[in-house]
Amino acid sequence: MTQTVTETIARAESSTRVRRAPRSWSDIAFGVWGVLVMLFLFAPIIVIVIYSFNTGRLLVSWDGFGFDAFLTILEKPAIQNAVRVSLITAFISAIIATSLGTLAGIAMARYPGKWVWWFLGLLLLVSVTPEIVDAVALLPFFVWLGQDVGLTMFNDGIVRLSVGSSLFATAVVSYIVRARLVGMDANLEEASSDLYANPVTTFRRITLALAMPAVLAGFLLAFTLSLDNTIVAAFVQVSGTTPWPVYVLSAVRSGLRPEIAAVSTIMLLLTLVALALVALVLKRAGDSATQIARTMTGG
Amino acid sequence: MRKRSAGGYLAVPAWAWLAVFFIAPVAMVVWFSFGYKPGIFGTHANDILSFDRYFEALSPTFFATFQNTLIVGITGTILCFLIGAPVAYWMAFKVRPSRRGILIALVLVPFWTNFLVRTIGWQVILSPEGWMSGLLQAVGVIDGPLELLYTRTAVIIGVVYNYLPLMILPLFVAFDRVGPTLREASKDLGAGKISTFFRVTLPLSQPGVIAGVLLVFIPLMGDYITATVLGGAKGNMIGQLVASQFQTAQNWALGSAMAVLLMIVITLTIAVAALIIWLVALPFRSANRLVLDPVSNDSSDAAAPAREEVSV
Repeated sequence: MTQTVTETIARAESSTRVRRAPRSWSDIAFGVWGVLVMLFLFAPIIVIVIYSFNTGRLLVSWDGFGFDAFLTILEKPAIQNAVRVSLITAFISAIIATSLGTLAGIAMARYPGKWVWWFLGLLLLVSVTPEIVDAVALLPFFVWLGQDVGLTMFNDGIVRLSVGSSLFATAVVSYIVRARLVGMDANLEEASSDLYANPVTTFRRITLALAMPAVLAGFLLAFTLSLDNTIVAAFVQVSGTTPWPVYVLSAVRSGLRPEIAAVSTIMLLLTLVALALVALVLKRAGDSATQIARTMTGG
Repeated sequence: MRKRSAGGYLAVPAWAWLAVFFIAPVAMVVWFSFGYKPGIFGTHANDILSFDRYFEALSPTFFATFQNTLIVGITGTILCFLIGAPVAYWMAFKVRPSRRGILIALVLVPFWTNFLVRTIGWQVILSPEGWMSGLLQAVGVIDGPLELLYTRTAVIIGVVYNYLPLMILPLFVAFDRVGPTLREASKDLGAGKISTFFRVTLPLSQPGVIAGVLLVFIPLMGDYITATVLGGAKGNMIGQLVASQFQTAQNWALGSAMAVLLMIVITLTIAVAALIIWLVALPFRSANRLVLDPVSNDSSDAAAPAREEVSV
């Protein structure tokens, strides 16, 4: 019995050896480690998706399989409202970040000078400042703007949330657009102006068109980032416009229920669609897998 | 020339936006940190300026939290590197190029999933009444329910998990850039796998290593969510301390001083780490240095002995 098993293994091994070059033990170890880490990365996400079908009262204790949690969403206006607030503010802040970031990215790539280093320094500062510092800084600032200066629009929850999550997203869009345009030289723009196109036309039909894949990718990334924005949102939110992550954060303190997992599963699907779109846009534009990875990490 | 100066103005809206909503608020926090909390109902006052809030923030009660944050930050970053580097290496050199895209996608999906939701996933896994606890008890690894949630270990698991993609991706990009040519040259010249890695691949991918470490360490030090969800109500990270000063204690002056200190601690740690690495690498660098003699002046002299040697 044991002998036959050993023989089978030996035969299988030799046949593998015939098919391709022998793999060393280190290659196998790397492969095993890689797969294990991938499982580690997906463990909590899989758990959340599974537990969204939990029929129990509390999220952590499994009761039975069912779609109760998804049906509960329909009965709870607070959850629907939170998701709506999140989607609205993410959309507004993605628009702000994309327009500011695109212009800044084009300026950095096409009109270089000493100012670019200062600007990159500022963007770096924005992206490395811990979110909690941003959050505690924006809270008193909005209160000051809204009450002492008298700009009442900053008392509005939607405005505060949109502004708060647009900052990091602006930096990310600027990096992406700059990275794309720096890689292409300005021949087409020069040709366009040689052919008597005025600067505005050149900008619209050449520069912007060249940057378009990065702009679209940047928009979707900014949207996802703003949708996830938790820390800044938790500080600047006004009661009545609680965004979804802050709703979840307060649920962590008061007790997690399966509805949280159900909404998260739906949001996960949305994020996956957005990511797939980004990858598709970049792939169409001719980026390699490595370039896509760089773009998506904001570098 | 006219076009050049005009184009730079395209960045003005972004400048202005970030100046108003990033620089001004942070400057305001720095200003608050020199003030004090007037009475029970006030949040801050700045008529008397002092460094007292900084001393208060460094008093023993809060200092323990700073210490703990630093321990979690450094342990977490090192673990992320040790776990992430082999994965990035595997993706860059061992996997068939056609499969790379899908692997990058697999690393990106958790990265773009809601941070809070992922962390809650860990709460479900680690909780004493969760399936992991049941499984480990059934197998017989532990006797009672799993007592990991709301400990420092749980926080470290959480932060390593949350920031791992930020380590893997820059490392992968850096390893990928090294390319096979120089590694093959090193192998042809008789270097083994390990010395090829340490003397060719790793030095060439240094920018990626630095980027990965910074991308993990900086947000990790300011972490607030992981510590709140997995570290329990009392919590042990500076981020939570700052948040509680603003949200519950309403002492904006002290909270601001803590936020400023957090940034100082992060900067100092990075500076010290850079210095240590530079000093440690110094002997290796001088041993590995390759001195190329200038050959422009007397190339004939330099060439002559070589020819003799060959003839011998």
